[in-house]
Amino acid sequence: MRINFWFISSLFVSLIIIVPILTVFSSFFENTTNYFEILKNTFLFEYTLNSICLLVSVLFLTFIIGTGSAYLVSFYEFPLSNFFKWALILSFAVPPYIYAYSLTAFFENYGTAYTILKNLFGEANYNSHIPKFDGMLGSILSISFSLFGYVYILTRASFLYQSQQLIDLGKNLGFSSYKSFYSIILPSARPAIVAGLSLVAMETLAEFGAVDFFSINTLTTGIYNSWIAFDDLAFANQLSFFLLLFIFALFIIENLSRKKAKYHFNSRGGFKRKEKFKLSKSKALLAFIFCFLVFFLSFLFPLSQMLYWTIKFPENLFDLDIVNLLLNTIYLVFLSSIILILFSLISNYGNRVSNNKILNLLSTLSISGYAIPGVILAVAFITFIAWFDETIIKTLGFLSIKKIFFGSILGLVLVYFIRFYSLAFNGIKSGYEKININVDESAYLLGYSKRKTFMNIHIPFLRNSLLFVGILISLEIIRELPITLILRPFNFETFATTAYISASEDLLEAAAVPSLFLILIAAFFIMITSKYILRDNNE
Amino acid sequence: MSKNFFEIKDVTFAIGGKNKVNDVNISIKNEGDTICILGPSGIGKTTMLRTIAGLEKINKGEIILKDKVISSNKIHIEPEKRNIALSFQENSLFPHYSVDKNIHLGIKKNSSTDKNINSKEIIKILNIEDILSKYPHQISAGEAQRASLARSLISQPDLLLLDEPLSNVDQSFKEDIQVALKQLLNKNKITTIVVTHDSYEAFYLGSKCALVLDNEVKQFDDPYNVYHFPNSVEVVNFLNRGILLPAKVTGGNSLENDDLGIIKGKFIKHYPTGSNVKLLLQPEDLEHDDDSNLKLEVVDRKFRGTNFIYTLKTPSNRLIPVAVHSHHWEQHEVNEKFGIKRPIELEHIVCF
Repeated sequence: MRINFWFISSLFVSLIIIVPILTVFSSFFENTTNYFEILKNTFLFEYTLNSICLLVSVLFLTFIIGTGSAYLVSFYEFPLSNFFKWALILSFAVPPYIYAYSLTAFFENYGTAYTILKNLFGEANYNSHIPKFDGMLGSILSISFSLFGYVYILTRASFLYQSQQLIDLGKNLGFSSYKSFYSIILPSARPAIVAGLSLVAMETLAEFGAVDFFSINTLTTGIYNSWIAFDDLAFANQLSFFLLLFIFALFIIENLSRKKAKYHFNSRGGFKRKEKFKLSKSKALLAFIFCFLVFFLSFLFPLSQMLYWTIKFPENLFDLDIVNLLLNTIYLVFLSSIILILFSLISNYGNRVSNNKILNLLSTLSISGYAIPGVILAVAFITFIAWFDETIIKTLGFLSIKKIFFGSILGLVLVYFIRFYSLAFNGIKSGYEKININVDESAYLLGYSKRKTFMNIHIPFLRNSLLFVGILISLEIIRELPITLILRPFNFETFATTAYISASEDLLEAAAVPSLFLILIAAFFIMITSKYILRDNNE
Repeated sequence: MSKNFFEIKDVTFAIGGKNKVNDVNISIKNEGDTICILGPSGIGKTTMLRTIAGLEKINKGEIILKDKVISSNKIHIEPEKRNIALSFQENSLFPHYSVDKNIHLGIKKNSSTDKNINSKEIIKILNIEDILSKYPHQISAGEAQRASLARSLISQPDLLLLDEPLSNVDQSFKEDIQVALKQLLNKNKITTIVVTHDSYEAFYLGSKCALVLDNEVKQFDDPYNVYHFPNSVEVVNFLNRGILLPAKVTGGNSLENDDLGIIKGKFIKHYPTGSNVKLLLQPEDLEHDDDSNLKLEVVDRKFRGTNFIYTLKTPSNRLIPVAVHSHHWEQHEVNEKFGIKRPIELEHIVCF
């Protein structure tokens, strides 16, 4: 085995990522305060039950919304079907916690719904007639409408690559369109649907902002509270351990199904573009209503609510230091993207040229960070640094290093790195997979050195992938809440943290302005990305 | 120092730690010569090319190009420093460059060779003028293969390696390209090794052919000899252009088969009288003559354009192939009797 630059850099990345996971596992056996005993006898069951209830409901709802809308826009032509194709992804611009603020703002007593009714029908006691979407139901709706995009994108991509030949085969066998859907279309998209649902599941279990806002106690809020409210880091880690077990099971399912999904990608010949079926008027109207409702509820509704409040309470707009928030966000996005892309490129290229099994294993380990909720990562990071500082640094007589990592940009970016490394690594990897190894070898045989091949052949080819990855990372960081909340430097705020802090102080109107900016910036990034995500051909 | 332009000495070719072809000795005497490596799929032909190109290393033997060792268990010159071009069987064009740019990337600014290869001529010969502005994903596999071939030719290599260069090219102009390619290689004195499983392609392009069978080079000879004087039963079976009949040597220039009787000709290898041998009988060895008293039953007839290949059944149930010119005045149907001219006299007798 050759110990070279590529090996060392991959080892370095893997170590950074593996440390918080090991910290969580090792702390499972540590002593905790009485809080653990109290909780074990009282709330642990509730935490687990709530997490499962949330998970099952969100999975059901995202499956219906995601698969249904993907099916309609992929196979049928109806009014605005081409618009919905990309517009439905805009739901990603609204994180669950902002959706939760919108739901509350609209349906609460004397909220927006009340104002609309009052303006339409005059003064009356509408509050008792307006449904309340809070608690568990509010959490389920917020998370589902925000995350169904995962199922939508992956399922749609799978539908896109389903060859017309497959559908023609069904017709040839005498299948009705109903039977074709259940016997051919849905089963062949199954791995993509499972992959999408697994991502939703991981995000749901990791969700903090919305459930915290609706005061639903889940394992994730339990971790946060045990650390923030009870100052019990060890217990936070023990709860994390439970949650990680759940998540690893999902991670394995997701990985297995994604491997299978490859077989459905017909990249060499035999692919025939699907012909979209034009729906009759009544059916077209139903399809339009379904997609419009999904688009409205997932994007227009929260956007309008935040916009309405921003206009209604303009003083909040002027109270907020928007330039500063924007600069902070850009700073984090830029720094994290550069570091993530750089290391992912090195790692991917190292894997490609050295073809080393250990290096491959290290890379696989390195991408597990995405499966770990931000709250756990942040807490585990603090635990590890505190331990390292106490047992190693101070023993050696050096000054404490805590300040370098706690409440600093370095610590924040480092944990972002762990969390989003898989996003960058896999994004670049999928770009690299399109470059046949023959291409590298041809370059060498044309007299190109490895460096020249990397610079002149790989980088120009990966340009789009790099841009795409950069945008995805930016999107995640703009929306990210728990890591930023826990590890940000004093007085360093982003749109996400400002919105959260205002909402947690019951100042929902004040949360509207940062939320609106967050949605608009994220939507801008999504619109650029959609060009790559929804390419309507088989390239 | 080696007197050959290129030489493989006692090399064992391996990939992923697994030996593919053992103890190979092949050489190309003069610059500009073309040799072919012929063998069934998966035998290790591509591994041989990849190793010569420097993409794989060797642990045994040495590879010498222009009197310089480029591979041995101690020396490994990097692929980019060998000036060897390899045209892959699969599409190896750079996906983000147009065909035109791909081809011209092959031009080396500081080429040490004195060859003067005209890229326009190559593009014309390979019939890729119309796809120059297209991108690799917009062209067919055959077009990609020709573009890749053009890029390799334009790079003015000391040694050109072609891996099944025309496997994806349409049959309709495969022969035209073969002719043009041969002329181009000869004219520009490009030393070439072609890997193929198509014996006709190998016989046409190569001045010599190496037959790789059972993890070794069974025969390395000129195409005529490989076809007419195969040195082993394995080579006969691979070429599949004849059958082996049991016979007994009856003299210095004759042998006898139970079904065909006495067969005369010049032995290419001496066998003592009375020895039992296996005689190689190729389709063109026997002549059609319905006046002959030696008649065999037709069990199959294949039309091959210039001739028919009849499969005849002998009394001892052996099947013999016989070629008859397709313009021959009297042809036979299946189940009819087919006369064979006697006495049977062969140009040469090959036995095992």
